[in-house]
Amino acid sequence: MFVPAEKVSMTLGERLSAAVGVRGDRSVEAARNTGAAEGTRDARRSGPPGVRIRDLSVVYRTAAGELPAVSGIDLDLPPGTITGVVGESGSGKSTLALSLLNAVQPPGRIRSGSVEIDGLGDVTRLRGENLRKARGRHIGYVFQAAQNSLNPLKTVGKQLLDLGRSHEIRDLRGLVRDAKDLLGRMGMDGARVLDSHQHELSGGMRQRVGIMFALVLNAHLVVLDEPTTALDMITQATILRIVREVHEERGLTTFIITHDLGVVAEIADRLAIMYGGRVVEQGPTTEVLGAPRHPYTQGLIRAIPRLVGDLGEARALPGRPPTLGTVPSRGCVFRERCDLRMDVCETEEPPAVPYGEWIVACHAVAARDAETREEKE
Amino acid sequence: MTAQVIAGGDARATLRRNFRRGVWRVLRRKPSRMVGVVILGVFTFMGVFGPMLYPERLPRDDNALYAAPSWAHPFGTDFEGTDVLALVITGARYVLLTALVTAVITVALGTAVGLFAGFRRGRWDAVLMRITDMKLTIPALPLLLVLSTVWKFTSAIEMGLVLGLLGWGGVARAVRAQTLSLRERGFVEAARGLGLSTRHIIGRELLPSMAPFIAMNTLIAVTGAVYAQVGLFFLGVLPFDANNWGVMLNLAVFGGGALTTTTALPYMLAPLLAILLLTLGIVLVVDAMDEIFNPRLREE
Amino acid sequence: MTVIARRLAGHLARGFAMILVVTTISFVIIRSIPGDPMRARYEKLVEQGMSPDQAERATAALYGFMPKGTLWEQYADYMRGLLHLDLGQSLSVPGAEVTTLLASAATWTILPVLVGTLLSFAVGIIMGVYAAIKRSSKLGDVLAVSGSLLHGLPQYVLALLLSAVFTTLLPIFPTGGTADVTLEPGLNAAYIGSLIQYATMPVLTYALAGYGGWILAMKSSVVTVLGDDFIMAAELRGLKRGLIFRYVARNAILPLFTILALSLGLLFGGAIFIERIFTYPGLGLLLLNSITDRDYTLMGGAFLLITVAIVIANIVADMLYTAIDPRVRSGQEAS
Repeated sequence: MFVPAEKVSMTLGERLSAAVGVRGDRSVEAARNTGAAEGTRDARRSGPPGVRIRDLSVVYRTAAGELPAVSGIDLDLPPGTITGVVGESGSGKSTLALSLLNAVQPPGRIRSGSVEIDGLGDVTRLRGENLRKARGRHIGYVFQAAQNSLNPLKTVGKQLLDLGRSHEIRDLRGLVRDAKDLLGRMGMDGARVLDSHQHELSGGMRQRVGIMFALVLNAHLVVLDEPTTALDMITQATILRIVREVHEERGLTTFIITHDLGVVAEIADRLAIMYGGRVVEQGPTTEVLGAPRHPYTQGLIRAIPRLVGDLGEARALPGRPPTLGTVPSRGCVFRERCDLRMDVCETEEPPAVPYGEWIVACHAVAARDAETREEKE
Repeated sequence: MTAQVIAGGDARATLRRNFRRGVWRVLRRKPSRMVGVVILGVFTFMGVFGPMLYPERLPRDDNALYAAPSWAHPFGTDFEGTDVLALVITGARYVLLTALVTAVITVALGTAVGLFAGFRRGRWDAVLMRITDMKLTIPALPLLLVLSTVWKFTSAIEMGLVLGLLGWGGVARAVRAQTLSLRERGFVEAARGLGLSTRHIIGRELLPSMAPFIAMNTLIAVTGAVYAQVGLFFLGVLPFDANNWGVMLNLAVFGGGALTTTTALPYMLAPLLAILLLTLGIVLVVDAMDEIFNPRLREE
Repeated sequence: MTVIARRLAGHLARGFAMILVVTTISFVIIRSIPGDPMRARYEKLVEQGMSPDQAERATAALYGFMPKGTLWEQYADYMRGLLHLDLGQSLSVPGAEVTTLLASAATWTILPVLVGTLLSFAVGIIMGVYAAIKRSSKLGDVLAVSGSLLHGLPQYVLALLLSAVFTTLLPIFPTGGTADVTLEPGLNAAYIGSLIQYATMPVLTYALAGYGGWILAMKSSVVTVLGDDFIMAAELRGLKRGLIFRYVARNAILPLFTILALSLGLLFGGAIFIERIFTYPGLGLLLLNSITDRDYTLMGGAFLLITVAIVIANIVADMLYTAIDPRVRSGQEAS
């Protein structure tokens, strides 16, 4: 690894603030780029779309009845930002990502709520051709790197043409040119990649091809589902750099799903922590990671071993995350593993309490906050 | 140590109970599967007790040659005036006895070869699989016909022997594939690491987990054997020593002209119906087994 | 290209081994027939006044190898004859070369088998896709069970049932031969119409026998492919349904090519029943008649030709597979 020595000794918090310092400048730059990109690339659109998820619930039909994978989520993706969602497997984060394309797979279905996307409306109400055209054209989806998102029998180029034909792109030559540009932009030989079959590409290359497919139709909302899982560290860093750069250059609204706090710390402006199908804490990345309020977020950060220091300092969360069948139907979903558990947690689901941009759903946090406020008074 | 063993025994008993419950649930979910089990039960009954229900020589009625179906003769009579239904029922024993012999040989040889190849791997594996492949590709029926010129394997035991010796390839392949896949999952190495003997690993660990595959492939092999023996007699390349569905078919089609006149039609249709029912039973049971042993196929 | 060449070489080697085994079986059987008719014939010719040398040659022409020398020498002589496509003469049809008889019979097997296979392949694959899509409905169940049943039934049962309906109860189709014998063979409408009419029952049986296998194989293959990530990826990229269908179909058909060879082999075997039932003069009937007529040279020849047909079918199926799957072409076999 060619990381400078002084950087290695930074704590996670320090790394975060360093990253954010850089990002502060970049967001200005991003705004400028966005304006420029619109003028040249896509005159119809009026900027990166904002997304408002309201009271979204997704259930899966099982032998034991319909079980909720996502319950009553409220989440905003402000235009032009990168929002990261972090959660353990089974927390419902992938289901949430699929809901943005109204693509929850049976036996699952969206039971209630809405996903408003600027320029598209409520995607949970889109059906048939309208839904198909929104996918790919308005919303790009990047699969987990370990998954094979390409047809093994066709070259990348032929699949690109299939994509163009599906979305009534007349200028297929232009599409191929755009694809080559994008691939070149990500450090690959575009012409060669378009001539390749999936099995001729490495994991990192496939992932970049996946990103190309998500962007080539000029979608301005991009959803990435575990984009770096199963990639080696260096490739992971490259992919994240590409995501960030492309996000800024093209003026995107980006939604990234991961189980890796480090990934979010590296690129997300905003962060949402999911547990048991709920968003337990959300807010600006630096603030949340710098001083997490929800006991689950605190536990997650404590569980990360530092590069320097005693390994014993890293403490795993006790217990196991709930699965579809074991999520409690009443009260707080996290209470079984929580240090701050109170009586009310058994019976009442904690409401999401906003502290400015920062939203936490925890009885204990709310109670403590009330105390401090009283003391002040 | 003893406590462990007892605990292990308990776990095994629980597993067995769960398995039985699983079988019951799968059978109940689709009533057609119950039908399959019942059909196979009826055929087994026919095979075991059928010939005891009738006299050694079936009665003939010279006044009723090729009689039409009636209450006395539900499927009519044959060219000698013998009741066709009685022929089908008494003929079941030959068919099922052959099937049994074939099944035993298929299981024994197929499992042994498959396990050996999968366990040893390397050169033995390559050689054995080449042989198995070749056996699977050499056309079995022409080979049987050619063999019949020098060896009249007419008795049920001989027939079962020939069909079993020709039919173990499928089971061998399946067992080998299973063994290899269990090996790949580190199953065998883990057992070795625990200090278990090869015999224990094969007998106690590998075989039980493969039993369903062996059972299914055997059932398929047995089906093939039933068809082959009936077919051989139907073609008339073996002497008609025994009472057999194939003999009935041959006499009905080539003796009675069932393909052009309707008089011998019931005589031909009765053994066909028996084969159809037997196939249906086996298909339904295999379908149920598939689901019991292959949870991935369980449709939600 | 080297991959294709290597696969072809492997197939040829295996095919050669198979042919060796089959011809050896034929030889052993000819030599072990009770009563040794070859020896008897030789002695009879000598009795009739031929010189031992002449008698030997006459017998050799008949059987395809010399009746003298050790068994090994005879075996080598037999094999040498095979290399020159000399299979001897028929014992039951005086003066007829085995190869000639085989050649005329082969057409009557290959054409109906191929037509029947293509027919069942096309219909079976379409119904298989349908059965996969509808797999949790009643219709899907019916399709799957009927597929298993048809697949499970031996060809002679199908042939006899079809025949009971279409030749006995409703005499629409003839039960024997290749065409109306009163018609002049040639390229005229009446004769060709008659050919088709006479071939309908065999072809229909081949097709029905194959259909069950195809629908089952295609169903399970489609179900597997539908669960693949790239299909969901295509959906999330907003690909048109028609294109997604093509992605599924092409990926799902692929593994079926390996079964194609096996199924052709089965059909060639089944040809014996179908040709016997419909008295259709193909290879199967030839083999069967040679056995009942104790015509061992013809029997060996027919057995050999059926085996060769299966070897060729294997090779063709594998080459097709290689042509379609880019992974095999570049030497990285999938799984």
